[in-house]
Amino acid sequence: MSIESIQLDKVSKRFRLGATNEYGRLTEAIATGVKNLFRKSPEAAAIRVPDSFADRIEAGWFWALRDIELSIQSGEIVGIVGRNGAGKSTLLKILARIVTPTQGRVGVRGRVGSLLEVGTGFHPELTGRENVFLNGAILGMPRAEIRKRFDEIVAFAEIESFLETPVKRYSSGMAVRLAFAVAAHLEPDVLIIDEVLSVGDQAFQRKCLGKASQLGAQGRTVLVVSHNLAAVANLCQRAVLIRDGRLVADDVPERIIDQYLGEMRAGDGQRVWEDDESAPSSREIRLRSVSVTGNGSDAPASEVDIDQEIGIVVEYKVLVADTPCCVQIQVKDETGAYVFWSANAPSMNLEPDPWFAKPHPTGTYRSECRIPANFLNDTRYFVSVLVGPEVGIVSVRHDSALSFVVHDTGAMRQEYTGSWLGPVIRPRLNWRTKKQ
Amino acid sequence: MANEEDSIPPMQFYGPTDKFGFGQLSEIWRTRELLYSFFLRDLLIRYRQVVVGILWVLLQPLMGMLIFMGLFFVLGTNAGSSTVAFAPIILTGMLCWQLVASSFRDATGSLVNYRHVVTKIYFPRMLLPLASLMCAVFDFAIGSLLLLPVCMLTGTGLVWSTAWLAIPIAMWLILFCAGCIAWLSALNAHYRDVGYALPFVLQLGMFVSPVVYDVERLRSLLTDRWVWLYEANPIATCIGLLRWSLLGTQLPSVLGMATAAGITVLVCFSGLAWFQHADQQLADRI
Repeated sequence: MSIESIQLDKVSKRFRLGATNEYGRLTEAIATGVKNLFRKSPEAAAIRVPDSFADRIEAGWFWALRDIELSIQSGEIVGIVGRNGAGKSTLLKILARIVTPTQGRVGVRGRVGSLLEVGTGFHPELTGRENVFLNGAILGMPRAEIRKRFDEIVAFAEIESFLETPVKRYSSGMAVRLAFAVAAHLEPDVLIIDEVLSVGDQAFQRKCLGKASQLGAQGRTVLVVSHNLAAVANLCQRAVLIRDGRLVADDVPERIIDQYLGEMRAGDGQRVWEDDESAPSSREIRLRSVSVTGNGSDAPASEVDIDQEIGIVVEYKVLVADTPCCVQIQVKDETGAYVFWSANAPSMNLEPDPWFAKPHPTGTYRSECRIPANFLNDTRYFVSVLVGPEVGIVSVRHDSALSFVVHDTGAMRQEYTGSWLGPVIRPRLNWRTKKQ
Repeated sequence: MANEEDSIPPMQFYGPTDKFGFGQLSEIWRTRELLYSFFLRDLLIRYRQVVVGILWVLLQPLMGMLIFMGLFFVLGTNAGSSTVAFAPIILTGMLCWQLVASSFRDATGSLVNYRHVVTKIYFPRMLLPLASLMCAVFDFAIGSLLLLPVCMLTGTGLVWSTAWLAIPIAMWLILFCAGCIAWLSALNAHYRDVGYALPFVLQLGMFVSPVVYDVERLRSLLTDRWVWLYEANPIATCIGLLRWSLLGTQLPSVLGMATAAGITVLVCFSGLAWFQHADQQLADRI
């Protein structure tokens, strides 16, 4: 019973870079058209057969995906793993038929349901009942089927008494519940879920993944993009790793996750940009390195103890004199949950940083942020670095520049031997009990 | 599992099935329930939080008619023909024009206004402009009922022998609108300029079509060649034909009708092909 359910033949997708991608102008198009009339456009031919894949950007085009070959059997649950911007979402959109591939072809057997967003097409002016029918129809359910399952949907969403109320008067929780109820009653042959878009609602994520495994058990094909590696490992029998628009590995989830994390580890607690071309840079600022220190020493370490202070060190070069600089970091955990954001601004600092937002003479600078001991949990964290002229303004950034693992030494769990999985941080706080 | 394998749907490859976009028509037919849902949505939204509700459908052409009748009365000119009362002439013109104007206006924005859905899920994009057209047709059908009381009040007799022809003529006009909105909606998704230019084009179109005057008046002013050019506009020809079938005014020239029919066919076929072409990049460009 291995029937091919999805087939991708050398699928590539490119996007236009820059403003023309957003809003085209008719005059521009006419001008280009006229120009091309007089000139046998060599660019167009060059783009058709891209020979240099060294860089994803070429002549104003960005290759989001390149030569993806993938064949999925029906009943498989496949996870798609990759860093932000690797092309996961584009791949899903191509599978869901929203985006047309530039090259190659996509074949799908049967009805495709895509959940890239909850409540797609909900209209605030329409009542709950009307929206169930509209949303169901957009998701591809026949009217008769919606009618048949209407009571189930409403019961699932627990909104019986608000059926005739316009959705604009719903609380956001009610609207999400209703939207999910509709989606949960969808029974496509191929289901495509982008879990990234549902971040923020843990309950919904769980339901979403539960639905996916249920569909898989029924012999339907499910494709999931998830940052939650544990979920991928539990749910999927197979995973693919996408890096820089290419499919680099296709294996059982455990191995894919190992490989993915190996890539994310990016050296031993430090990431150094040796040559100037590859370093994230703007006209004024160029990143030099990012590193993590801990274990009571100044040496970079990718694994640090939970009961020692952790340092995050950013080295950057100021190329233009008198550039004001503010260094900012973002820390996320493995599931993509945002742990914290910090900058060397006075309000976020224990003692003011004399260089904060000051005009910097040209030269190399080193900013260090100290994270207190006994604050993070024993899990992996990802650090993104952002440098800009002031807080919240970014001229240079590098997402997930490096990752580090915090290890539990047992110092914080003498009494408790269970698992600490779950919380994003595990701070040591001040507790006191008094008898009243 | 054997019996299940018999019913396995075939592998479908995405992408255009033919160059001319005819594949879209069968796809629209397959998803007609969704088209109905979109139509219902547009209809329901339009008259939410409106006091007189659906009465606006009748009030709009009626007000249009009264405004222009008042204008011509003040000016002291008669823009109608000598044989038929002016009120039903202007009402047929108004009804047709509102069909054209509101379908163009709503359909042009339909893809862009719905881009948050267009970029999140697939369905034949043509359904969105078509749903706008269906709304305009709905208004047109309801508004047409006004003709009866207006004819009675003005003592104009409807020409019953040819009145049935009004239906195929209206279908012609709707078909022409469908072709135009296929062009306009997809163009607007790529180039927002279309949305800005449209109001002016519509304003001009209203005066180069016999909306508030009768073609008979024009014929006396223009040479044959100009009349032909004028009637090459399918909107003008359809309005002229509708008046002829219902009220018994003069029939547009055969040459003019043939040209208008040719233009309609051209617009529809090119609209289909263009829409399919534009659809390929819609989610990237919108």
